[in-house]
Amino acid sequence: MTEASLELAGLRRRFGSVTALDGLTFSVPPGQVFGFLGPNGAGKTTTMRAIFGVVALEQGEVRWRGEPVTEQARHRFGYMPEERGLYPGMQILEQLEYLGRLHDMPASAARAAARNWIGRLGLAGRESAKLEALSHGNQQRVQLAAALMHDPDLLVLDEPFSGLDPGGVDDMTAILAERARAGVTVLFSSHQLDLVEDICESVAIIYRGRVVAQGAVADLERGDRPRLAVRVGGDPDGAWARRLDPALATVERTDGGTVLLVLAPDADSQRVLDAARAAGPVEHFTHATRSLSEVFRAVTGEDAG
Amino acid sequence: MRRTGMNRRWLRLTAVVAQREIRQRGRSRAFAVSTIVLLLVVAAGVAIPAILAHHTKPQRVGVVGGQVAAMTGIVREAGHLTDTGVTVVREPSLAAAEAALRSGALDVALVNGSEVVVKQVQVASGSGGGLPSAIADVAGLSRLIGQLPPGAANRGVTLPVRGLTPPSASLSRRLTGLFTVVLVWILISAYGSQIAMGVGEEKQNRIVEVILASVRPIQLLTGKVFGIGLLALAQAVAMVAVFLGLGAAVGSSLVHGAAAGIVIVGAVFLVLGYAFYCTAFAAAGSLVSRQSDVGTVVLPVQLPLIVAYALSYTVIYANGASVFYHVLGFLPPTAPIAMPVLYAAGDVPAWQAAVSAVLTAAGTAWMARTAAAIYGRSILRTGARVRLREVLTPRGGR
Repeated sequence: MTEASLELAGLRRRFGSVTALDGLTFSVPPGQVFGFLGPNGAGKTTTMRAIFGVVALEQGEVRWRGEPVTEQARHRFGYMPEERGLYPGMQILEQLEYLGRLHDMPASAARAAARNWIGRLGLAGRESAKLEALSHGNQQRVQLAAALMHDPDLLVLDEPFSGLDPGGVDDMTAILAERARAGVTVLFSSHQLDLVEDICESVAIIYRGRVVAQGAVADLERGDRPRLAVRVGGDPDGAWARRLDPALATVERTDGGTVLLVLAPDADSQRVLDAARAAGPVEHFTHATRSLSEVFRAVTGEDAG
Repeated sequence: MRRTGMNRRWLRLTAVVAQREIRQRGRSRAFAVSTIVLLLVVAAGVAIPAILAHHTKPQRVGVVGGQVAAMTGIVREAGHLTDTGVTVVREPSLAAAEAALRSGALDVALVNGSEVVVKQVQVASGSGGGLPSAIADVAGLSRLIGQLPPGAANRGVTLPVRGLTPPSASLSRRLTGLFTVVLVWILISAYGSQIAMGVGEEKQNRIVEVILASVRPIQLLTGKVFGIGLLALAQAVAMVAVFLGLGAAVGSSLVHGAAAGIVIVGAVFLVLGYAFYCTAFAAAGSLVSRQSDVGTVVLPVQLPLIVAYALSYTVIYANGASVFYHVLGFLPPTAPIAMPVLYAAGDVPAWQAAVSAVLTAAGTAWMARTAAAIYGRSILRTGARVRLREVLTPRGGR
């Protein structure tokens, strides 16, 4: 893995008596689509706002490419807030041009970029339409274009998939993947963990303002120790597994006769197979992975979304 | 170098914000309609009194001493010159003439062909000065032709014009003051509520979060107030141009009163008042989550302005302002209205207007800082209306 492009180090922020960020620390590698997960109120939006300096921090630092984030660096960031917002009564070409210029683009470049994104997002011909005249889905496209206008190095999207129809989800996914391939660091939050599983290489899961799990999606699903799913014929309660030596494996849970076991460090899975065969006919024996939702539930104690 | 670069970009992005305000609002129908209506109101306000003034009622001129025929001739000639009808009344003595002037039975008295007496000398009423000075001119000239008294060359040929009561600002000057006050009032309240609504709109439709990801709240606030301010100024300039241009064309007495001093004081306080109130209006607009709630937070901000505006009529139509109104003339929230009125009515000298301008400028700087702080802390907070106390302490918001 290459060096991190975005680093959040020990971010701390309270709102009155509520601690929104409690020493939050994680880093995002460059050129990746990175998922940022957590239950409602965990501090995702506050973190994203802190990246843009919209929320002031009491402690901690946001670093970009090893340096504390400056105003200049921020002009190379793109943001799509959870609460979508544009001027309803303003023409979309003008609106995008304006937002591009606020990122310090020259007027001509901003106009060209606005036309380009309007075309790419299938809105050609609607340049002079007011935002409020567009369908909900098309308004979302304009919102995405607003974040992409200035060809940012870092793209931060708060719940980009919420409210999208399946076609919109596919378009959004394609654009995020394409941007990451172009070297852009993409950080997004979502409640749709199946989507996150498909799109992201790595994730961070936060809970009550702290990171409770982070890393490559595959690693998190595998867990820190290998898991086995085993079913022995004629033993619907998995009674055989409770007799296993804890130095070999422990039972995580039993699900309709299938026992989910966590192997002890350096334990040999074949010894578990031997024990199972001794108890009866082995109907099922595989390495098990957890879904991201299970990981999420395990570290936060809550369901996503 | 680096700092200069930073500052330049800061200004550039603030100007982008201002430009959007000017483009979006400047081409709106509301702006065009309001400009046309305001210009028509000004035009009517100047032209109608001027047209009525051409039918001036005949003036009664008292003559004391001197040859009756010669004196009557002088008065008639002066009437011709000023296009005023005159009625000559013979008065037995100076005392009788003065009593008649005080009671209003006479408008002017010519005494012994050597002095012109009026009830009150009009100051700053421009060139001409109406019938009394015309009589003084003609009578002085006829005296010069008849005989050359000692020292006449020094005094010139115009007779002295004496007032029975001390001079006060002319009515036209007061009316110019009224015009200034109405202008300041209309522009601050109209554009102030536009700013508050604009801020409320950005907060309600959440675009503010997108914008604040690239510019600071103070830039958004400054750009907005400045952009809308330029539109307000353009409208003010158009109104003043119509006032002066049309006034000169129809020979309005209102415009005679528009001495440079009043125009300058009015302009200075218009700009200061706009800056003071519009930053405050922006801060007020940032406290609410829905645009429809803007009205409830704007009214308290507007209150000092309303008080100064309502009381300004007592100054304009009464002789001399109260001590209370003088105090209002030096308080930054009320000075933008009160001081132009006091100055136009001749109740304060220029240096006091300057002192008040400095105080108001300092107050405006304070208000801009406070408003920017309130705005920055409350603009991203949604839900219930943000309490002022919460955002005045640094820990409170953001």
